[in-house]
Amino acid sequence: MSLLSPLFLIGGLAAAVPILLHLLKRHPDAAVMFSAVRLLRDAPVEQASRRHLRELLLLALRVAALLCCAVAFARPYFAAPAGEGGAALAVALDTSFSMSGRGRFERARAMAVDAIDRAEPGTAIAVVAFNDTAEVVSGLSTDRALARAAVAGLRPTAGGTRYRAVLSTAAELLRGRTGALVVVTDLQSRGWEASDRAVWPASLDIRVADIGPPTDNLAITAALATADRIVSTVRNFSEKDVDARLHLDVGGTADMQRGMPAGDLRVRVSAGQSAQVGFPRPQGRWAVVRVADGEGAEADNNRYVLLEGVSQPRVLVVTASGELSHEAFYVEQALTASAAGKPAAYAVVGAAASTLGGWDEAKLEAHAAIVLMSTRGLDHRGRERLAAYLRRGGGALVAAGPDVDSDVLAELIGAGRVTLVPPTVGGASAPQTLAPGDFRHPVLQGFSGQASLSLAVFRRVSEMRVAGCATLARFTGGQPALVECETGQGRALLFGADLDGRGNNFPRQATFLPLLHEAVRYLAGDRKALDVLVAHAPSGVPPVPGVAPLNPAEQGGPLVAVNIDPSESEPARMTTQRFQQSVERVDTAAPAAAVTLATEREAQQHLWQYLLVAMLVLLLVESVVSMRTA
Amino acid sequence: MAGSARERQFLDPAVLARLGTLELKARTVVEGLLTGLHRSPYKGFSVEFAEYRQYMPGDDLSTVDWKVYARTDRHYIKKFEEETNLDCHVMLDISASMGYVGRGISKLEYGQYLAASLAYLMNRQRDAAGLITFDERIVTMLSASARSGHLGALLVTLDRVRLGHATNVSKPLHQLADSLSKRGLVVMISDLLDDPESVVKGLRHFRFRGTDVVVFHVMDPDEIEFPFERVTRFEDLESHEEVLAVPALVRAHYRQGIDALMERYKRELGVAGIDYHLIRTDQPLELALTAYLTTRGRSF
Repeated sequence: MSLLSPLFLIGGLAAAVPILLHLLKRHPDAAVMFSAVRLLRDAPVEQASRRHLRELLLLALRVAALLCCAVAFARPYFAAPAGEGGAALAVALDTSFSMSGRGRFERARAMAVDAIDRAEPGTAIAVVAFNDTAEVVSGLSTDRALARAAVAGLRPTAGGTRYRAVLSTAAELLRGRTGALVVVTDLQSRGWEASDRAVWPASLDIRVADIGPPTDNLAITAALATADRIVSTVRNFSEKDVDARLHLDVGGTADMQRGMPAGDLRVRVSAGQSAQVGFPRPQGRWAVVRVADGEGAEADNNRYVLLEGVSQPRVLVVTASGELSHEAFYVEQALTASAAGKPAAYAVVGAAASTLGGWDEAKLEAHAAIVLMSTRGLDHRGRERLAAYLRRGGGALVAAGPDVDSDVLAELIGAGRVTLVPPTVGGASAPQTLAPGDFRHPVLQGFSGQASLSLAVFRRVSEMRVAGCATLARFTGGQPALVECETGQGRALLFGADLDGRGNNFPRQATFLPLLHEAVRYLAGDRKALDVLVAHAPSGVPPVPGVAPLNPAEQGGPLVAVNIDPSESEPARMTTQRFQQSVERVDTAAPAAAVTLATEREAQQHLWQYLLVAMLVLLLVESVVSMRTA
Repeated sequence: MAGSARERQFLDPAVLARLGTLELKARTVVEGLLTGLHRSPYKGFSVEFAEYRQYMPGDDLSTVDWKVYARTDRHYIKKFEEETNLDCHVMLDISASMGYVGRGISKLEYGQYLAASLAYLMNRQRDAAGLITFDERIVTMLSASARSGHLGALLVTLDRVRLGHATNVSKPLHQLADSLSKRGLVVMISDLLDDPESVVKGLRHFRFRGTDVVVFHVMDPDEIEFPFERVTRFEDLESHEEVLAVPALVRAHYRQGIDALMERYKRELGVAGIDYHLIRTDQPLELALTAYLTTRGRSF
């Protein structure tokens, strides 16, 4: 056992006090010359020997209580067990799908086992599996069989490669020790991103075990559903031309994972090149394009695509009561408008602001974008839901009319970025029109060179004081009319007037519909396809390639297609030297690291709490014994 | 009329202990007591006229001289020269157990004051007073006498009393009973921490000889209540036997024993026609004197 603050042990000297008192007062009993002692003879008198034992017990209890107190203040902890704190080895095995070519992962496992076997006797060994993230599958232990079993249990996954993750995890694992990290990987270049900064203690070594270049590989790198076709891209990652055989399966609602054959195509793909093929669009909810590849990685042979979500993404319109026909008539009409013979551009869903607090994350995620018309009744939980939706990449169009509160807006996009002064109801002001400022922006791109936006007349506008957001358009009075604020991975567009015609005639202008469509399309971005990568699978959706309901509780609800990151198929590699150079070595002072380790151990074990409890128990027992003795 | 004895504020024995000589203490107690009694205790047994005295509340109206009243219009009573016809022996236990001091004075001191007061009172009543001090044997013995100067000798003897050894009440009792040739009164002052059977047997010996007996059982409050709290090593004053006891554990047992002892004395002495009075050392001496006078008046 070690002590974090050993000086507090000086307090243990207080234990000498009861000992001294005990020694000084060897005959603590009061002595009385009494006249009727004979009447006490038959009474249950205290036996001297028994009393002596009881006094010794009391003394021991008091001394123990004081020592417990002193040791508790010294913050004890159990030092590292045998093998811990000394030499350690972390074996990190790359489980990204690029490792899944024929015989590649078996080779990687063999190299990992070899690294384990080569470790010095007594070395604590841990096994870490990594792809986009890193996971310790076997903690530090001198039991090599345990480490070997952990390696044997690993399989290639559908994830990508991220070296920073494994370095961070291993550094944490090996902190306060001497030793090394062995990274068993295929050294894919994409494992390092430009923004990655991996810091590694200089006292620890990094060794790279390279399993070699990837085998020949065919990969479906893209699949896109258009109105009448499914366009797929197949790439040949080999040095010879290949005749690729592609299959299209289509899935319905009854069987989510297994599709029915819907087409076969054969295409010749030149070495290192890509080829596009198009399947007729079948009926169904989703489809998967497959390529036959017996050599390369298996995970990139399939690509899933949704057929229903593409044509009609869902847009959530939030109003005070959820009655769109009364509170968002123009918005609903504009979003559900369609060309002759074609389905509506968006499926519009209305919701009362007060109900959002009861929604779960998946339910909100099912919507490509949100149009926020009112914040009345939006409780704290609802605000948190919306803010989280934006941070995760969602988009919201906020009609900053009289029903939108500035404080709520601050919670959604961040405090101080936009301060909203809503229009005074009934207040008269000079009519204004829109004056777009940046026609390069996707929302306004289609309006360049046209003066049609200026036909809309605004009599009441909200004053938006902008700080840290981009102003895309202004009213002719100079006040911001359209502001874009990025928040997390998502964004919000703030329109400085009502979108339901209150105080303006904008919804009745021809520019209303295209502007609204462009804004929603911009905000929805990729979300309209509900196509995500494995590493970004929404909560509740398994992080494996396939199609899954976004909300399992909702029958017939929206689907999400989960695909592998196609860049993981890229065979470009780096050298071992380049890998080593990418890691920034830092000197961590050993004593400081030891102190940190000790503090963490002490915090994990918190033995002081047990000691204080023991002290209280001892004092309680002491009180009981003392009362019987006194 | 003056207040009754019960209403009087008696002297605390502890206060009495701070007074000067034993004689002064005795006089203070006795005079204080007599002044407050309804009936005058100076009722002699002689018919020899002594003097006139102005009537005082509490005096017997039958002693008022109405002729003098007719002449002087004042109330006078006739006083007669009293003559003793009673031998009173005060037996004071001076065994070591009488030396216990609790919260006030020791039982021996209390006994000394009580014996002195009784002697003084007896002397005032023209009774012959004697004194016997004893432990396991008779230590000092002053024969009963009503002569002038005898009281002084008795008080000096009392003043010189020192603690003796172990108690053995029965032996001195039998010795004294055998030596008494004349019926009289024996007042025994003791803590009676002895074998009850032998004590009662010894006292019955007096009754057999026709002598009246009054027993003052003097106890310290500690001996009755056993108020000790801490673990205590009790050493017997006489045998020096040591007992280590936890008072909380033995208190009930002790009280049961001491209560049974007192109850036994009260019952068996009552059956034998002996007056038994339990006196605590924190109680005024006047209570004991009143008890004595009651017995004295009833007997003679």
